[in-house]
Amino acid sequence: MLKGAIDYAPSTFEERGAAVAFTTPLLSQTRVRRGERTKLEVLIPALSEGMGLYVVPWKAMPEMVPMTMHDRYLHDLIVKEEACSPQEIRRATLKAAKRGLAGPQAAQAARRALEEDEEQGTLTHYLLLLSILKAVGLESPEMLKAGIGTDEGQRLTRQLMARAADSLNLEANLLYARLAEVAAAVAPVGLAQSPKPGRLLRGMQELKSFRDSMTQWANEVPNDAAPVAAFCADVAQHTIGIGDAILTDFQRRVDAIGPLMRDWETDFAVIRNHARRMAWLLDGWTHVTGAWEVALTEDRQQQALTINELFRILPLLPKKESRVDMVGAAKRVTSVHRRSVRMLEDWRTGEMDMDAIRRIERVKARAA
Amino acid sequence: MTRSSRTRPPSGASDPERATPDLLPSLERRLLSIPDDKFLEVVRLLERVRDHPDVRQTFESIRPRLAQMRPERRPTLKRVLCLPFEDVLEGVGGGEGPLGRIERRVIAPLWGIIEDGADRHQLDQLDRMVQEVAPGDHNALLNIGRRLWPLAAQVLRAAVEDDRSRQALWRRLHGDEGLQRQVIDAAAYLDIGLTIEALKSDLSPRPLPELEDHHIAAIEQAAQAVARQSVTAVYPLLLVAAARLATPADLLRVLNDLDLGKARREQPALFAQLSGLVVSNLEARSARFDGNADRAGRPTVTPEDVMATAEGLIASVTTTTNVMDRLNEPIYRDRLAAVTSAVGAMVAESVLDTAPQGILTAIPAPGGPPGVDEDAQIAAEDHVRALRRCDRLADTLGLRQQVNETIKRMGQGVEARAQALLRDYPQRVGDASAAEAAELTLFYSLRLMELLAGSAKADPLRLAILAAIGESPDPE
Repeated sequence: MLKGAIDYAPSTFEERGAAVAFTTPLLSQTRVRRGERTKLEVLIPALSEGMGLYVVPWKAMPEMVPMTMHDRYLHDLIVKEEACSPQEIRRATLKAAKRGLAGPQAAQAARRALEEDEEQGTLTHYLLLLSILKAVGLESPEMLKAGIGTDEGQRLTRQLMARAADSLNLEANLLYARLAEVAAAVAPVGLAQSPKPGRLLRGMQELKSFRDSMTQWANEVPNDAAPVAAFCADVAQHTIGIGDAILTDFQRRVDAIGPLMRDWETDFAVIRNHARRMAWLLDGWTHVTGAWEVALTEDRQQQALTINELFRILPLLPKKESRVDMVGAAKRVTSVHRRSVRMLEDWRTGEMDMDAIRRIERVKARAA
Repeated sequence: MTRSSRTRPPSGASDPERATPDLLPSLERRLLSIPDDKFLEVVRLLERVRDHPDVRQTFESIRPRLAQMRPERRPTLKRVLCLPFEDVLEGVGGGEGPLGRIERRVIAPLWGIIEDGADRHQLDQLDRMVQEVAPGDHNALLNIGRRLWPLAAQVLRAAVEDDRSRQALWRRLHGDEGLQRQVIDAAAYLDIGLTIEALKSDLSPRPLPELEDHHIAAIEQAAQAVARQSVTAVYPLLLVAAARLATPADLLRVLNDLDLGKARREQPALFAQLSGLVVSNLEARSARFDGNADRAGRPTVTPEDVMATAEGLIASVTTTTNVMDRLNEPIYRDRLAAVTSAVGAMVAESVLDTAPQGILTAIPAPGGPPGVDEDAQIAAEDHVRALRRCDRLADTLGLRQQVNETIKRMGQGVEARAQALLRDYPQRVGDASAAEAAELTLFYSLRLMELLAGSAKADPLRLAILAAIGESPDPE
């Protein structure tokens, strides 16, 4: 067993693990990672009075903690798919939610999210294609007019892409393959010129709103949780700082699509790495910002309880990602945090708090 | 393939500028279903013509949604007048009735009396000041109230005390003694308007979930302040305090320990008055339970609403009973027992008796048309949650056996229906869409089972479903 959750300071995102959107209150936002000998393992905090952090083999988890039906299904899915990156975990989470085991509203949200992913993928692919044509001076009003979905539009697109490949000294098939790879890597973030921001860009916007709301709460509400709220805002701000820097370089490189297609080996690796880092950076924040959105509709006492809960699962930046000692800062607010934590279920008897489960499901239902 | 609940499309009411007042009655129902932002937009527009009778009627019918959303309303002098007693204004549609309530229908005649009796010039001046107040500027409203409330209280009292004006008042109130009593009560609240406003700020948000030490200190301080003015002013102040609590009976618990300053000698009488009122209020609220069905006898509130009300009432009954027992006051014991019994009857009728219809019918019979009714699933899950909440109150309500039997019967019913669906599943496999719908239905029945009986008891069904659909967990 490791020491308390606050004492644990991972060096990298991979070591920190990816947050899993379980609905069992004790396991909410528990992190899975690949341990020694590449076996999946899980970090379970607060099994006894909030003092410990257990590293448990992933497969052994159901024997240690009573889980909801949703979590049993999601757990099995992660075992089967050996998932442990944020993207893989998200895919498994959406599949579990779509099964309806977190309630009909969460199932509807999961269906919407999957549809949006598909639409975003198609849109990004199309916008990148137009960028390539523009980069080599081949903008075609006829193609846009015909629409890429029509036979005529497809024919014109093929013609133009063949000419674009010539200009870039590439085989047409290779150009298509590279386009598909860039689109797949870029779609979760989204393009600056896209009419709808990608999922991760939206995540950044939500994180900024969260930071502002937390700062305001900390300044305006006379409550023991105010320093905790200030800390949450601080962690959000550091995350935003890093995210904004990544996004600036990411957008610059994607905008230079012509050079990207030519200097593929070096440039694409950087873009893919940026997209992955964005996913890791925002991992766990969707639940945090969503839970706070829900809490904003409630009274101050409930909001204070939510802040203290969020503190427990706050995605602190790993040591290699930030010079700020977040673990040290977290320790300073721990004494306040312990005062008013909402009781989780008694893990020894297995009695689960239905209201707490419902709160988590409500967050899941608003944003999958 | 799902028949999911979807956001209703914006209705014609989204273009209120073209809606003439004649059309408003037909739009009222739509106003209750349009999205929040549209609703607020319509409210803002209607406020500009709020004196039109149809618009007033529209505001009455949308009051439940207004009460829920509490949009920032344009301030008016009449609204400033009501601030000191707004917490004791009757609830909407038979909802929670505050202690010592003042009915909304008293406001119009009350305002008429003030307009007739007060100095016109002074009222006009205050009215102009109100019109310049920005929405949300509470301090500006308090400054106007500081001048309006004593003036209004004086006018109301004169109208009651003077023989000639009493006759005019009587006519205005259509000879309704209840309304006349409320006019006098309103004057008492207006007398201490500023202290009430300060106390409201200390006892925020409303309803206050817990009565903490600093709240008690604020009540004590306010009571001492108004007692210096008049000992009779303490009672209306306490009514406002009670109305701001989630469990008004909490005030009874601490009342005898308060130092009421100059009203110290009135303490026993105040306690008796307040406890009588608390019990009468509980009786009235439990009696209102009986009106929760439409003409065809179908319940108009959800089982979860019933449980929320039941929990609030039982919390109040328990607190009141404890206070009375501690003070050895047996007079209310039978009446409180009758309230508990009425709550139990309503819970049995609205949550237990309706469980088969509310829960089991969400699981379709095998062989039915493909598709999943997610609205029915949502309603069934809410019903199960109400049943579980009922479990927590079962002993207090004397429903232990009935609750246990209902939960057991629902568990067996869900299990039987899920097994029937499992047997039917192989016939759906050929059609991808039908298979997907059948799997979703199976998982939804598993969820009902979990909510009813807990995850350990639901697990065998989970494994059976996974085996049937070919997704069994990897063997160790």
